[in-house]
Amino acid sequence: MFLTRSEYDRGVNTFSPEGRLFQVEYAIEAIKLGSTTVGVRTSEGVVLAVEKRVQSPLLEASSIEKIMEIDTHLGCAMSGLTADARTMIDHARVTAQNHAFTYDERIKVESVTQAVCDLALRFGESVHDEEAMMSRPFGVALLIAGIDELGPQLYHTDPSGTFVRYDAKAIGSGSEAAQSELQDKWHKQITLVEAQTLVLRVLKQVMEEAIDHHNVQLAQVTTGKGFEILDETRLKEVIDSM
Amino acid sequence: MDHFPTNWGRPRNDAIDLYGTYPIHSRPGPTTDAFSDGVQRTQQPIVTGTSVLAIKYKDGIMMAADTLASYGSLARFKSIQRLHSVGEHTVIGASGDLSDYQYIQSLLDEVMIEEFSAADGHSLSPDEIHEFLSRVMYSRRSQMNPLWNSILVGGFKNGKRFLAYVDLLGTTYSASTLATGYGSYIAQPLLRKAVEGNEDTLTEEQARSILTQSLRVLFYRDARSLNKYQIATINAQGTHISDPVTLDTEWSFAEGIRGYGSQTK
Amino acid sequence: MPDMVNLSAHSQQHPQQRQFNPYTENGGTILAIAGADFSVIAGDTRQSEGYSIQTRYAPKVFRLTDRAVLAVNGFAADGNMFVKKVRQRLEWYRHAHAKDMPLRAIARLIQTMLYSRRFFPFYVYNILAGIEEDGSGAVYSFDPVGSYEREACRAAGAGQSLVQPFLDNQIYFKNQKAAHGTSHPAHLPLNTVLSLVIDSFTSATERHIEVGDGLEIYVVLSKGRPMHGLEGLRGMEEVTTTNDGERVFVIRRDLKKD
Repeated sequence: MFLTRSEYDRGVNTFSPEGRLFQVEYAIEAIKLGSTTVGVRTSEGVVLAVEKRVQSPLLEASSIEKIMEIDTHLGCAMSGLTADARTMIDHARVTAQNHAFTYDERIKVESVTQAVCDLALRFGESVHDEEAMMSRPFGVALLIAGIDELGPQLYHTDPSGTFVRYDAKAIGSGSEAAQSELQDKWHKQITLVEAQTLVLRVLKQVMEEAIDHHNVQLAQVTTGKGFEILDETRLKEVIDSM
Repeated sequence: MDHFPTNWGRPRNDAIDLYGTYPIHSRPGPTTDAFSDGVQRTQQPIVTGTSVLAIKYKDGIMMAADTLASYGSLARFKSIQRLHSVGEHTVIGASGDLSDYQYIQSLLDEVMIEEFSAADGHSLSPDEIHEFLSRVMYSRRSQMNPLWNSILVGGFKNGKRFLAYVDLLGTTYSASTLATGYGSYIAQPLLRKAVEGNEDTLTEEQARSILTQSLRVLFYRDARSLNKYQIATINAQGTHISDPVTLDTEWSFAEGIRGYGSQTK
Repeated sequence: MPDMVNLSAHSQQHPQQRQFNPYTENGGTILAIAGADFSVIAGDTRQSEGYSIQTRYAPKVFRLTDRAVLAVNGFAADGNMFVKKVRQRLEWYRHAHAKDMPLRAIARLIQTMLYSRRFFPFYVYNILAGIEEDGSGAVYSFDPVGSYEREACRAAGAGQSLVQPFLDNQIYFKNQKAAHGTSHPAHLPLNTVLSLVIDSFTSATERHIEVGDGLEIYVVLSKGRPMHGLEGLRGMEEVTTTNDGERVFVIRRDLKKD
């Protein structure tokens, strides 16, 4: 299979005869190697959860950062090449702050997602003989959670710059099993507390290690408090209540 | 806009009485001339045209301007054309610096050729030409390099009359009678009295006589005017700019005037 | 002889500005008042320069959206350009964010647009009126370089010094003492506000040479607010364009032309 691709899988600007951009597809593959990340939308807010792979007992688990704040009303969880996500989240933060500066209002969740996706498509872009700004697609997928005048929302973005809104979404290595579990368990009346335990249960199912407050991270965006990453004590409480 | 094009675009100063006899009138502002330090921008108009008049009438727009180009107080060129047709539906007329005006003419001619070459069955309407001209004038003033003119744009297309003004600052407005320069003081009141409310009934004949009379008054009062003028009509038949006509004027009354000049008794 | 010295010094005192002056003043007055669930914003239609009336009809008040109306006063060329640029930004915003820009956001946008020209300002005094997201009537006023605040009422332009003190007295009840046991209302009803606006302009027309010819009053009503105080008004026309709920009306009146 790879033999037939070999002619067309190098340039990021070159379509294959079947109309595919292999580098983008490979980038999407890269996400499937990433740790599992789950997001669930409820009417009270959005919950994000990630699995942290603590590969060594000497590793300081708290230094693994896979959920980040974009603005007070926006959060983001990632899977894939997390280093790439820093560029994207940086862009999202600047966009959100610029919006607040210019319009004195919080940017919409969809708008900030769109801004991130605009950036995702800038690979291979160059003017005349200048160096291209980015040489390859981003190897990361994001779950962008937030609240605006349209209520709590959850968006998924991938390296192709496509974004879609979900009620519940899982990405990363365990995403297939996790997604079908979410499909089973998610319902319109789900509460925030139920969503917290749901995301952890889903993670627990796909994780190799036993779940504890070191190897998962939980965050949420709510109407009252905006974006917050749950600290160890609160995380423990949720894990205990599972 | 006052009647000294040299004062246009400079701050208005109500403390100076332009009509005062003491101290003897001199233009406020720089005493050195435009060439003193290698000028690149129009800092003052050099060869100037005086008033342009325009009114709405029953069938369209009528415009008038004399054919004089002054060099300061010298009547330098006595047969230049200040009315210029732009396409089938529009005539422009300008006072102020005539080299800037001729540049504007060539700019518009270029645009019209480009539009014609598109051969898309669309021709620029008077309001579009005026909008374009406004953008040019405003952008040049914003670069502190103005085109030193006040321009009237008259047009008739698709049964609609159009008459508007634009000047070196990019200021625009529209009315049923318009006049630039000295004409805005002397002719505008006469035009308003004759035209306002009668735009839809004035015949071409009447319109012509209103403009001619206003030009005559201007010639009597404006020292930078000439008794040779052209009239443009813009109506359903298209644009037409007349050949230069000479005003008939009456000066014998001057003999009878007493009280100033050489006849003090 | 000291007089002679003074005289010759006086004749030297002509302004020695040699640079082109890119600004002028085109007169006119604008005014806006916020009600509890409506706002009113108005301007005369005379455009002048010095002692000359350039035209008797040059609008200074512009409907931006169904909940925002902008009035511009000062240098007319800058004013028209500024409105054009604001409208362009509103359209871009609509395409980017799939909604009309809220009033408060327009106010902030206007600040950033004005301040971006801090060192070559738009010589324009802006007043923005409309309905906020919470349904309340609002007025924002700006200086040419973008300082702004939300107020209950504001007058600007040639007649500001005549109209603002009148509004301070009639809207803010400055120098008025409420009758014992009563208090001044926080918001006035629409018909009272309209009377104040019309009186303001007839008065300014009477005493200021740059004010007159025509009057355009825009009224913006909050979602679901009944027409109370608007029905059957002479010279009224609805100019609402969407079904979002807010409604915009314009009332055109004559002012003295002398």
